[in-house]
Amino acid sequence: MKSTDSTYRRPRRGISGWFDAMARVFRREWSNIFSDLGVMLFFIALPLGYPIIYTLIYNPEVITDMPIAVVDLSRTADSRSLVQSISAAPSVEVYANCSNMAEAKDLFGQNKVFAIVEIPADYARSLGRGEQATVPVYMQMSLLLRYRTLLSTLTDLQLKVAGDVTSTRLATMGASALGLDGGLPVESHNNFIGDPTQGFASFVMPGVLILILQQSMVLGICMLAGTSRERRRRNGGIDPTQIQDVPVSAAIWGKTLCYFVLYIPLAIYVVRWLPEMFSLPHVGNPVDYALFLVPFLLGSAMFGQAVSGLCTERESGFLVVVFTSVVFLFLSGLTWPRYAMNGFWTWLGNLVPATWGVEGFIRINANGSTLGETTHPYLMLWILTAAYFIVSWAVARYSAASHTRRVKSDINVPA
Amino acid sequence: MQIGFWPTVRREILRMGSRRMYLLMTLVVPVSVILFFVGLLDPGLPLKVPTAVVDLDHSPMSRAITRNLNATELVDISQELESYSDAMASIRRGEIYGFFIIPANFERDAVAGKKPTLEYYNNLTYFVPGTLTFKGFKTVAVTTAAGMVKSKLASAGLPSELTDPLLQPMAVQDHPIGNPWMSYSIYLVPSFCFGTVALLIMLMTVFSITMEIKNGTSPDWLMTARGHMAVAVAGKFLPHFIVWSVVGQFLLALMFGWCHFPCGSIWAMVVAMELFIIGCQAMGLLFSSIVPNPRMALILAALCGILSFSFLGFSFPVQSMYGPIAIFSYAFPCRYMFLIYIFSALNAFPLWYSRIYFAALIAFPLVCSLLLWRLKKACLNPVYVP
Repeated sequence: MKSTDSTYRRPRRGISGWFDAMARVFRREWSNIFSDLGVMLFFIALPLGYPIIYTLIYNPEVITDMPIAVVDLSRTADSRSLVQSISAAPSVEVYANCSNMAEAKDLFGQNKVFAIVEIPADYARSLGRGEQATVPVYMQMSLLLRYRTLLSTLTDLQLKVAGDVTSTRLATMGASALGLDGGLPVESHNNFIGDPTQGFASFVMPGVLILILQQSMVLGICMLAGTSRERRRRNGGIDPTQIQDVPVSAAIWGKTLCYFVLYIPLAIYVVRWLPEMFSLPHVGNPVDYALFLVPFLLGSAMFGQAVSGLCTERESGFLVVVFTSVVFLFLSGLTWPRYAMNGFWTWLGNLVPATWGVEGFIRINANGSTLGETTHPYLMLWILTAAYFIVSWAVARYSAASHTRRVKSDINVPA
Repeated sequence: MQIGFWPTVRREILRMGSRRMYLLMTLVVPVSVILFFVGLLDPGLPLKVPTAVVDLDHSPMSRAITRNLNATELVDISQELESYSDAMASIRRGEIYGFFIIPANFERDAVAGKKPTLEYYNNLTYFVPGTLTFKGFKTVAVTTAAGMVKSKLASAGLPSELTDPLLQPMAVQDHPIGNPWMSYSIYLVPSFCFGTVALLIMLMTVFSITMEIKNGTSPDWLMTARGHMAVAVAGKFLPHFIVWSVVGQFLLALMFGWCHFPCGSIWAMVVAMELFIIGCQAMGLLFSSIVPNPRMALILAALCGILSFSFLGFSFPVQSMYGPIAIFSYAFPCRYMFLIYIFSALNAFPLWYSRIYFAALIAFPLVCSLLLWRLKKACLNPVYVP
């Protein structure tokens, strides 16, 4: 079948012909994208809107005023001052002062409190006698973030009580001459780097932003490919909206560059403006991450085209791609570090551009790494770009060949 | 042509068998994702975090600290560096997740009572390893200091049974209920597997309904069901429900049987899983009724399904989110499934405390059926919007 004049043109030969073909595919793909509302939704609306919703969910960053119950069985001045110290901490709020454990357990079961602090009856007596007073704390383990917040509050409290009590005790023992009155002989100081506020959005969002870039691009490419397959099925193996008779490699590179150019402004918005809008960490040098994102975007475009071979229908790509977001998030090592994965999962993660994109970008973005310090992910992204180019090329050749076979066998069927 | 409920079921089984997509998305993918989470998080905690120590003192005491650091299960001293800037460069290269600095003249100053400071740095860009290094470093720093006080007190003639309460007059005894190992497997596998199953059920339900509209087979579907939308939906959902039940019960068997997650009441979980599957199918029905068009309905289901991993409070608590966002978490069956897991399995509370969550799961199919008339209208006049 010969298509209209604009689609079919006698191909030029040689290198200039290859570039000419690529440029024509680029232009055609560009107009294909902008004439398809469904694809634009993925390519443009998704990267624009989704990160905002996502960041807003986590934007409170830290847990404050977590409700807890206190069961004060001691009812002394010492225990009351302990309760006061607990409620003074910003992370917790004493929701109820219960008279016994049964009452507190009931609140626990109703999901109204997330921990119970039980101050035993002999609390003040133990302190007065110079013994160690133990305070049991029962915690709900639904979320480790809550556990972590509560535990660090209680550890600080433990140190505070020690500071108050120990110096008095030493003085009464007549041991103040040892020079220990001012606390411990060695001080320690911790520094959090990368995410100094310990906020949840600050930790998770920079990585998620990169994943959103890749997944939205793959979704859009899969939808384009699925739609094209549907058209080919309707039109005897040829999609009239595609440029015909161009080398497969030129078609792949034309499309890749088209997606790449389209994603430049979106990437600037996602990795540069969003962290500023929500005060996420952004200490990286823009030149470093701009250069870093070049192979990432190219690699994602190639990855998308390789995967799109699986999409036989406009909507089916969706089903294949959507659930992978969760898997890719874990494979990237953002939540569960990659050093703790077994060989198979590491290997699987190595195949996903977002794994390297996340690793390199968050180091540049939050730790201020230079491009030179992220050489490994940077090189891996170029290798993946090349590898997925070869896969896409093979897929395109195979599907073209199978179409030709099908068309031929259709012709051979006697009427 | 036979019509009625069973012919509708038969018709759906044939439809499911006609496309590989159904086999892939209802059995292969969910089982693989479940095995992925169980396998990936199997170690429980990513112990032995690669870290560095910067020993500027090179004294017996500083070497003892290094040994103590290496002896904890939390961190692994993979590098011994000579300066702060070397260590920072190593952090930037992603080789270590934290480092511990022992200042110059540490031992001399400590013995002389000049209070030297141990500094440690934790890279919270990676939250879990960063937190683990923090915990490991803090423990060693505090115990080092306490050990020095203890030996000083002992040398002053104080009996050892008096020194412990002196250093720590109040000890917090933490009881992490159901997960004393702080295992990430127990914490993440249930919620993320429920979330994935919910996402896939919603997607496949929407897919199976809207494809009828796209291919123009929806009048035939309705005709097989004697023109009753409710019969048509029930007949369509039954075969899917059976497949999803197999997947769901496989997940529970894997969690509680194979991995030995704490489980208060297995029957509550088994029943909740069935109600949860029906609830998710009902959500898929609702999406298809709101926008009876494959693309928009699938986008709606996917958006809600993926976002629900965040706003259902699997990692960041719903109580800390902004109100207008937190309210959405109660609109999904997965939230109630998660709460039933927490209360009936992890906390092993009596069923009484989960009654509201069970009631909510039962309410989903009832509420979501309210828009059936809209779906019926769309099925009678199938229009495909690309």
